[in-house]
Amino acid sequence: MTLPKGVIDPGPKNPDEMFVGWAPAPKVDRRFLLGALPLGLAGAGGGAWLIANELDNPGAGAWLTGATHEVAGVLVTDPYPMLHLADPSMPGGVRTVLIVAQGKCTSALQLDDQRGSPVIARGVLIQRKGRQMLEVPLFVDDWLSPIKMDMTAAQLSPPVKSLGAAQLSGAIMDTKCFFGVMRPGRGKTHKACASLCIRGGIPPSFWVRTKTGAEAVLLMTTADGGPMPMDILPLVADPVEAAGEIVQVGDLLQFRADVAAYRRV
Amino acid sequence: MGHQYKAIQWNKNKIVYDLYMAVAVLVFVGVFMAIGLQTQPTGHTADPVVLAIRALGVAAFTLLTVILAIGPLARLSPRFAPMLYNRRHLGVMTFSVAAAHFGLALLWYHSGGPLNPLVSLFVSNPLYDSIPGFPFEVLGFVAFLILFVMAATSHDFWLNNLSAPVWKALHMLVYPAYILLVFHITLGALMTEKSMVYPILTAVSFASISALHLYTGYGEWRIDNGMKSLKAKGWIEIGAPDDIPNMRAVIAPLPKGDRVAVFRYDNKISAVTNACRHQNGPLGEGRVIDGCITCPWHGWQYRPDDGVSPPPFTEKIATYNVKIEAGRVFVDPKPNPPGTRTEPAIIAEQGAKAP
Repeated sequence: MTLPKGVIDPGPKNPDEMFVGWAPAPKVDRRFLLGALPLGLAGAGGGAWLIANELDNPGAGAWLTGATHEVAGVLVTDPYPMLHLADPSMPGGVRTVLIVAQGKCTSALQLDDQRGSPVIARGVLIQRKGRQMLEVPLFVDDWLSPIKMDMTAAQLSPPVKSLGAAQLSGAIMDTKCFFGVMRPGRGKTHKACASLCIRGGIPPSFWVRTKTGAEAVLLMTTADGGPMPMDILPLVADPVEAAGEIVQVGDLLQFRADVAAYRRV
Repeated sequence: MGHQYKAIQWNKNKIVYDLYMAVAVLVFVGVFMAIGLQTQPTGHTADPVVLAIRALGVAAFTLLTVILAIGPLARLSPRFAPMLYNRRHLGVMTFSVAAAHFGLALLWYHSGGPLNPLVSLFVSNPLYDSIPGFPFEVLGFVAFLILFVMAATSHDFWLNNLSAPVWKALHMLVYPAYILLVFHITLGALMTEKSMVYPILTAVSFASISALHLYTGYGEWRIDNGMKSLKAKGWIEIGAPDDIPNMRAVIAPLPKGDRVAVFRYDNKISAVTNACRHQNGPLGEGRVIDGCITCPWHGWQYRPDDGVSPPPFTEKIATYNVKIEAGRVFVDPKPNPPGTRTEPAIIAEQGAKAP
């Protein structure tokens, strides 16, 4: 064959072997597919195994859905909704259980009538490494009932102890997802969710890790102990550092620093 | 072919194809979920919804990588033609998997808060002025919209009503969508997960698609560049009749950038445009079956002498005048209007003569 330069013969070597979709496949294609199709399925399974096996550890959080827990204590709303439970085994004689609403709208909870009173709250427990949180319904009221209970002084006003100034590096998380609703509830893929959660009133936390791998989660407040303003949102989930004060309120560690003290690193 | 429209046109090959791809997706997602739930330290469990979001996202990106590889692979080896045949169904399946990924991510990460989920998608991460901090979700959303438009217009109804060039241009948006998804992954998952497996696999996908397209694109460029070797004016010499394999074609580039497919069949020579009316498939890489030129991509057929699909179909392609002089085949580079009958050049038993 001597085709002029520029003219090409593009067709199959054996014309009878050309695959046509509406006709039975030629033998050569059937042989190829019989070998390739199982390989494709094996590749799909093997690829999924490889990718899933390399995922980061999601953390030790747990969201105990399917069971309703009752927690009795004194209702506190400042800086964030929480219950103070009398527990002599805990620092300051108080165990703190944070309260969040279903979804991402904790600030919509109506708590003013019961503030500072002994109550029993019913909801779903979220917990991570001994830290507990109660998720309660947003649109029904019977999750919270007043009870008669002898309140300890620590429940009414937990001891506040300054652990000193500190320069911390870490990442800002929303407590609900990080404690166990999202696993993992950190990193850039979770940034938008964490930002939306904090915008909705879920308490922000500062997750710090030491060089030895130990981690600590501190509830974030302003320098004077108030709730963090929304100015903090752009910094959520990014690596940040801040100078502030670590304060222990009952069993709860707080990191007190204004938004201006945080810097993206 | 398009004499009537059905919601989905299936035949045995397409049913087998679709079932196989559906099983492959289920295997991928199932294994991903099972491994993701079982490989954590004691007391640590991944969120099934987060795992599903990731499994579906990876599956959609993998499917898109496969789709983009099919075209060049089919140019390199006819064994991949069966994959090409039903590529549009695979595209719709990819969109469906991407839609599940998008829907779950929107529900899980952006719903139930003080903002509309679609507003949250755009404002919850405001770092638009930062490359590493850029909201990767927005890139995925734009890519998803492109996939939606492509899936919504994938039917032959749209191909015919938008016209093949417009439809083809619209569906070339798959390349920007793929690039957007590479950045969606790079600025999202790759900045969250520590394993080097993920950047390596993403790079393999991008490098493979780039290399395949560059290689086959170079081959196409060489064909078009071959025009410089042909006479730019007047009839174009194709070669001797025997140089054209029986029931097949040779392809020659034309001065205005088109290509002509010159077929030999039943001791005759006819020439038509190389671009199939359906999806611009390379007719010259097909063959004559049942007296009709048959496109290697989806099996659309045209009569060699007038470029008209056999009844009941009505599609038409451009034909070219051919002649045989002194034992050589020549083609007039000026195309006839689609469906114009031209007289085939008759191959004489010894030598050749003009019809």
